[in-house]
Amino acid sequence: MTSALVTRRHSWRSRLTAYPFVTPATLTLFALVLYPFLYGIYVGFFKTNLINRWEFVGLHNYMIVLGGADFWRSLGTTALFTAGVVAGHFVIGFVLAHLLNKEIRGRTFFRVVLLLPWLFPEVVVANIYKWILHPSNGILNAWLRDLGIIDKPMSWLGSPTFALPMVTLICIWKGYALVMLQILAGLQTVSRELQEAAHMDGANAWQSFWHVTLPGLKPTLIVALVLDTLWWFKHVTVIWLLTQGGPGTSTTTIAVDIYKRAFEYFDFGPASALAVIVFLICLGINFAYQRGLNNERD
Amino acid sequence: MRGTRAHASGSYAVLVVGAVLAIFPVLYMVSTSLKPISEILSGGTPTLLPREFTLAPYLAVFQHYPVGTYLANSIVTAGASTLVAIIFAALAGYGFSRFTFRGKSSLLLFILATQMFPSVMLFIPYYKLLGTYGLSNTLTGLVLVYTATVIPFCTWMMYGYFDGIPHELDEAAELDGCGRFRTFVSVVAPLTVPGLVSTAIYSFVTGWNEYMFTALFTSSESKKTLSVAIGQMAGFDSVMWNELMAASVMSSVPLIVIFIFLQRYFISGMTQGSIKG
Repeated sequence: MTSALVTRRHSWRSRLTAYPFVTPATLTLFALVLYPFLYGIYVGFFKTNLINRWEFVGLHNYMIVLGGADFWRSLGTTALFTAGVVAGHFVIGFVLAHLLNKEIRGRTFFRVVLLLPWLFPEVVVANIYKWILHPSNGILNAWLRDLGIIDKPMSWLGSPTFALPMVTLICIWKGYALVMLQILAGLQTVSRELQEAAHMDGANAWQSFWHVTLPGLKPTLIVALVLDTLWWFKHVTVIWLLTQGGPGTSTTTIAVDIYKRAFEYFDFGPASALAVIVFLICLGINFAYQRGLNNERD
Repeated sequence: MRGTRAHASGSYAVLVVGAVLAIFPVLYMVSTSLKPISEILSGGTPTLLPREFTLAPYLAVFQHYPVGTYLANSIVTAGASTLVAIIFAALAGYGFSRFTFRGKSSLLLFILATQMFPSVMLFIPYYKLLGTYGLSNTLTGLVLVYTATVIPFCTWMMYGYFDGIPHELDEAAELDGCGRFRTFVSVVAPLTVPGLVSTAIYSFVTGWNEYMFTALFTSSESKKTLSVAIGQMAGFDSVMWNELMAASVMSSVPLIVIFIFLQRYFISGMTQGSIKG
């Protein structure tokens, strides 16, 4: 009786004191994120120039977008790009995090240097690589020429074959550091006692990694995997600055396609419809990962 | 014993290769920014160090572009949005971690869902709505957009940091007569300094780097940020690569300086298990 009363009073008070803390962020989220988001969905049902022309077309924009061959092509490009970038981030991030977790001399130095790529603005990263890969004055072509690997300068970002792999590599360079840091954080929470116990029980390094470290690391890995996949699936900036989606459509991911439709062709309706589709795909990716995680748990 | 040593040198080999790949493009940018244009266009294999050092590209950037204005715009917009985001996110993170209230789980779900919005999806509404409210081509508009971009993730990060601090601490403070707000400001918040710093760096870096929307939204020179100015410089027909690299160095330096001063907090903040599921 008393305890119920206390609980109720406590939760009532708790509720009341919570509001001053959460209200500013909540209002900001509603005004600056939820409202524009709903507005974006709304635009997807119209043929509009956003100014004076608003013609309700129902699901027509969705039909245009899904019916075109562009959609499936750009979805394929996005899948290749995202898979390449995320796989690169995890392989590199894992190896480096594992090494940085050891008690070795110069650890701080390596940690700072290896974080550098993440720190540079995307615009700067794009400029640096445009310069390194420059067809006539770039250092990569000069080196390859000196080594006798190529005899004519290559336009790496202008080639339908090489543009996507190059853009993928550049985005791997740009983003692996965050994954490395997340995995490093995870490794430091995996119990050292447990690893020592495994060692005492005669487990070799590989066994203790496979049976102790990896399971302990799984939650970190899943979160990092979901975030990284979602980020790069939607990524525009570096691709846009490097190639504008070209040559042709060879680096046009869905996100680049949305941007082009909206701000080059001013097809705001179809662009918004496509954005909603991307949002649904991202929800699907997230859901699939969560399902996978839960199945593992059972 | 020999096995261990071989193992250690293997680790170093991998780390050194990684470090070289990480730092080479950066050093090459710096080196190019110190070369005269004749050396760049000479057609020979570029050297890693300039054959002739010059600061002319830096001076040229200052002469040809209103760098001070760009820099001020970048600092003001990234700084103001970080300040707002960090205060709101810290308050909300604490609120989420310490209280139960109606709508809490929906709000948290919404915050997670925002991470799935394609940013481009919001560009169209921002473009239209900020125009409607007379905020096109203003720094205020940029601050609003940058704040909106970072606040969900900042809140989520702060929620994680506060959750890592034992709740008993609040109870003890309350027994000592602290109100909720005092408990937050003078007891709990100081313990999350690494978390606050990490969140602030994330927010500042995001604002500083934003290109796609800012490029659309700022039509006049006086409102451009460094990122946008530099991105557009690279699109010119005849790019002066040494000047472009000089401008790129200038726009990276503030981030590097911030990072060097705060990296201790940042790394401990990131490795506190802040990014939680």
